[in-house]
Amino acid sequence: MTDLTPITALGAATPADQRFGALRITENAGLALASLALRRGAAQPAPLGLALPGPGRWAEGQGIAAFWTGPGQWMVEAPGRAAEDFAAVLAAGMPGCSVTDQTDGWAAFEIVSDRGEAPIRALLERLANIDPDGFGPGSATRTLAHHMGVFLIRRAPDRLAVLGMRSMAGSLWHALAATLRRQGAAAAPDDGFPIV
Amino acid sequence: MTRLSGGLVDRSRSLSFTFDGRRYSGHPGDTLASALLANGVRLMGRSFKYHRPRGPISAGSEEPNALVELRDGARQEPNTRATVAELYDGLRARSQNRVGSLRFDLMAVNDRLSPFFAAGFYYKTFMWPRAFWEKLYEPAIRRAAGLGRLSMQPDPDEYDKGFLHCDLLVIGAGAAGLAAALTAARAGVRVILADEDFRLGGRLLAETHPLDGAPAPEWVAGVEAELASLPNLRIMRRTTVFGAFDHGVHGAVERLADHLPQPQGGPRQVLWRITARRTILAAGATERHIPFANNDRPGIMLAGAMRAYANRWAVSPAERVAVFTNNDDGHRTALDLAAKGVGIAGVIDSRADAVAVGDYPLFAGAVIGDTRGRLGLTRIEVRQHGRSQWLDCGALGVAGGWNPNLHLASHHRGRPVWSDALHAFVPGKDGPAGLIAAGAAEGRGSTAQALRSGAEAARRALAELDVNAPLPDLPQAEDQAQNLHPLWHVPGKGRAWVDFQNDVTVKDIALAHQENMRPVEHLKRWTTLGMATDQGKTANVTALAVMSELTGKPIAQTGTTIFRPPYTPVSLSVLGGGDSGAHFRPRRLTPTHAWAQSQGAVFVEVGPWMRAQYFPRAGETHWRQTVDREVLATRKGVGICDVTTLGKVDVQGADAGAFLDRLYCNAMASLRVGMTRYGLMLREDGVAWDDGTCARLAADHYVVTTTTAQAGPVYRHMEFARQCLWPELDVQLISTTDAWAQLSVAGPNARRLLERIVDGFDLSNEAFPFMACAGLTVCGGLRARLFRISFSGELAYEIAVPARYGDALMARLVEAGADLGATPYGTEALGVLRIEKGHAAGNELNGQTSAQMLGMGRMVSAKKDGIGAVMSRREGMLAETRVLVGLQPVDPAQPVVPGSHLFRQGDAQDTWTDQGWISSACHSPHLGHAIGLGFLENGAARMGEVIVAANPLQGQSVPLRVVSPHFIDPEGGRLRD
Repeated sequence: MTDLTPITALGAATPADQRFGALRITENAGLALASLALRRGAAQPAPLGLALPGPGRWAEGQGIAAFWTGPGQWMVEAPGRAAEDFAAVLAAGMPGCSVTDQTDGWAAFEIVSDRGEAPIRALLERLANIDPDGFGPGSATRTLAHHMGVFLIRRAPDRLAVLGMRSMAGSLWHALAATLRRQGAAAAPDDGFPIV
Repeated sequence: MTRLSGGLVDRSRSLSFTFDGRRYSGHPGDTLASALLANGVRLMGRSFKYHRPRGPISAGSEEPNALVELRDGARQEPNTRATVAELYDGLRARSQNRVGSLRFDLMAVNDRLSPFFAAGFYYKTFMWPRAFWEKLYEPAIRRAAGLGRLSMQPDPDEYDKGFLHCDLLVIGAGAAGLAAALTAARAGVRVILADEDFRLGGRLLAETHPLDGAPAPEWVAGVEAELASLPNLRIMRRTTVFGAFDHGVHGAVERLADHLPQPQGGPRQVLWRITARRTILAAGATERHIPFANNDRPGIMLAGAMRAYANRWAVSPAERVAVFTNNDDGHRTALDLAAKGVGIAGVIDSRADAVAVGDYPLFAGAVIGDTRGRLGLTRIEVRQHGRSQWLDCGALGVAGGWNPNLHLASHHRGRPVWSDALHAFVPGKDGPAGLIAAGAAEGRGSTAQALRSGAEAARRALAELDVNAPLPDLPQAEDQAQNLHPLWHVPGKGRAWVDFQNDVTVKDIALAHQENMRPVEHLKRWTTLGMATDQGKTANVTALAVMSELTGKPIAQTGTTIFRPPYTPVSLSVLGGGDSGAHFRPRRLTPTHAWAQSQGAVFVEVGPWMRAQYFPRAGETHWRQTVDREVLATRKGVGICDVTTLGKVDVQGADAGAFLDRLYCNAMASLRVGMTRYGLMLREDGVAWDDGTCARLAADHYVVTTTTAQAGPVYRHMEFARQCLWPELDVQLISTTDAWAQLSVAGPNARRLLERIVDGFDLSNEAFPFMACAGLTVCGGLRARLFRISFSGELAYEIAVPARYGDALMARLVEAGADLGATPYGTEALGVLRIEKGHAAGNELNGQTSAQMLGMGRMVSAKKDGIGAVMSRREGMLAETRVLVGLQPVDPAQPVVPGSHLFRQGDAQDTWTDQGWISSACHSPHLGHAIGLGFLENGAARMGEVIVAANPLQGQSVPLRVVSPHFIDPEGGRLRD
């Protein structure tokens, strides 16, 4: 065990956690990430029993999850395992795959609503050019938010994860916080949140 | 003036406001213009050029005249149209473009001098002497011809942006828009209904014709209630769709707080990007006026606007009014105002066969010849059958027909088409894909036509999406033809305004014709017609018609006018989308940022990165002192620098080596596992592009580094090569730039320092020689990567750990190396160290240099092919003799200035004698004088020669001696120690 003390992507000792009305953002500092890419001719594996999702999707298994990032490419998530060499663990069971540690390449912010899906949909509207109707639970995509490349993952109707470059964590946090603050402060839209 | 009966204002409440310091009151539902008219104020502004007194001519967003400065302090907003400014309690507005008071504007002298201000006057008048232009003419003209004033303070309000998606976007909530929205919403598709007004209904709110026998606002309220109850439809009031862009994307501004004294905690406006599968443009039509002499006095307005003020806002601009028309629609204004008890001085109808449809004096086959009234209309001259008579009236409604609001239909350079039947331009067929015009915007302006056209357009749009939308039952509505007989202007001697906002008259257009500025594009630039905040909404078509008369060609052959976004003015603040100041663009911070801050580092922007530039210590008063200390400490002891910003790409796969062989100009497949090699990438055209290192961690696993600036482009290039050029290769790529904190540890004590943190790893020269690389653990089990590479020319390593530990590792190294002279250094010292060593960086890899010029010509392998290799052997490239050299001043006190060009001593200094340039320079604390790197013709053969560095911008000419670019340790012994 190293005697060096890590800091979070936002440069603090503990993960950020803030509530904005119905939504709460938490920095997920414990999320281990590893990219998984099929080598030529390799069969699609099932890491730790997880059936890897197709394009635009995110799938969750036992203590592991993954989202599609390109043809034959996924990002594998392991909550709470950032301190380990998760990529090495994953790679050991994945012959025929290229695995690369991505844990510290990203800052992950988990957004949870305590009033159902409407606030999450309203946030999506302000955050990125994503149609909430086509981005239900189990969706994941790479997109642009406030000039930053991000992954958005709809983990549940009332949950959204935003993964951005670790070096941009401060700017991403500011963008999320400012969007949520403005949204909380603004009057409710005329006609509520359209749900089809 | 008191209020008329009826109207859609809430008389139960009063709102107090001021205009030019005077207090007035209005009601909720009023605009600033309607409230001022209700208080008897017709004069609201001064014209742009002649400072003529002006009042509102419209009741909508097309307004050219009634522009005011709204609000105070930092929120002061110039050029706000009083006709769309929603009244709120405490509103404060001021007239603009005046010197003195609005009633006695000192600049009104311009009107007397009008012969000097004809079209194109500034191109002709203010030519000489040339020196007067910037200092005298331009400031004077700008002051005289200004619109409103800026507050010159930062915008205190917040803005936001957002993205919406729908099946059908309906632009405009008048008869056509409501019918379209209802049709589509009932079919269950996702609909957005946007209107710039604060109240739905459009023109229905301004007319008295019943729908199914009931007042139109009642029908509107019923539709509104149904639409509001449907979850698949979103109503966006106070929202202007200002542009149609590619792929069904529309720009829209929602004004959340412009009707309030100030935003209530939330954003003032939101910029929406609306992606719609289909769009219905139901933006209505703008009435056009008919130019006649002195047609710009306050009180003269569009007849439809006069009717709107009376019906919607219960206001008449005067107790006695007249109407000038060339069609039946003008008579409606007389009927509606008469019904409200306003005196009708007469309807002057240019059609000889006109008949009165109510109890008012009719002057058929007549025109307006002239008008009187200095600050507001008092009399009009009616010319009929060769006779002239003067009528007293305080307002005149002018009805010249309606121009469809087809602006968005021409945003993809769609050309409007002239309709001889309608005497108007209608949307052409080459507009934005998926956009359908309906109602008055399509030229179908009767209420019945608009309702039907809107519903049918929605049905048609949805049919294209394979959705069947039944037509709703539409109410019975008026369906009157206009019977328009064109009259484009009344010929005469006086000035007749075509474009009110830019003070362009019929005479100006005649002058443009006379001077051969006949194409509409020339007409616009020459006269300024159609420019400024209203973009000619009430002027362009009329001007075209006047030009057509002058040329004798039909309007259809004279040209068209097309429009670009935005439809109405959009503030720059909302275009920023809420990101401003320090957050205007994202910033990237290095893993050691917090530590560097705690050390008092000075930071520098490097692209999006903030990097520590240098670390000043107490007592250091100049940056050079700090940088010199950092450089010398590194050369003497050990320096530590965060180099995380260099791009890192993980390359894996059975063909990783073959892939890198093709990517770099030098060989990489032959690199042994556990070793690192310098690599140079060329562009396809053979020019040097980017350099870095390539480390082989395993047979099928490399990590390559790029420069900071090119990290993104190189990664993109690699993905392009992998996916498109050589998909047959087994290669997988992913960026790991942010994942690893990478620190450079350089200097004679580098090994001793690292020995204190590695977990039993053998760092001896034998076990870990120059250019070695390895995975290891440090500080008690932390996984790390170590590379023995040097940018400084010293014994040096780069150590990488997971980014979250970068801060702690930096602190640990500085602490653990205190006795070894461990010193953090920033980008300035980094630059000095590499220039002293003669390493190329971005200044040398500037897109104009080749491997040969960089002294690395032999690196371009002839044994294998790689991107750019063949082109680098082009004749012209091989003939290039400028190569990288070192330069130092003959007189050590002299500077070396980067950017200077190199010449032979005694030569004239011009392009023909140019021998090269200085790419990088610094003060070398090691040598005690300035040094530089540059490219010099036949440089390698000219060591010791004295040349001249010319910097004509600063009048400098410095003799320099040509030397080896390696000022430090040219044999490279230090880094191999």
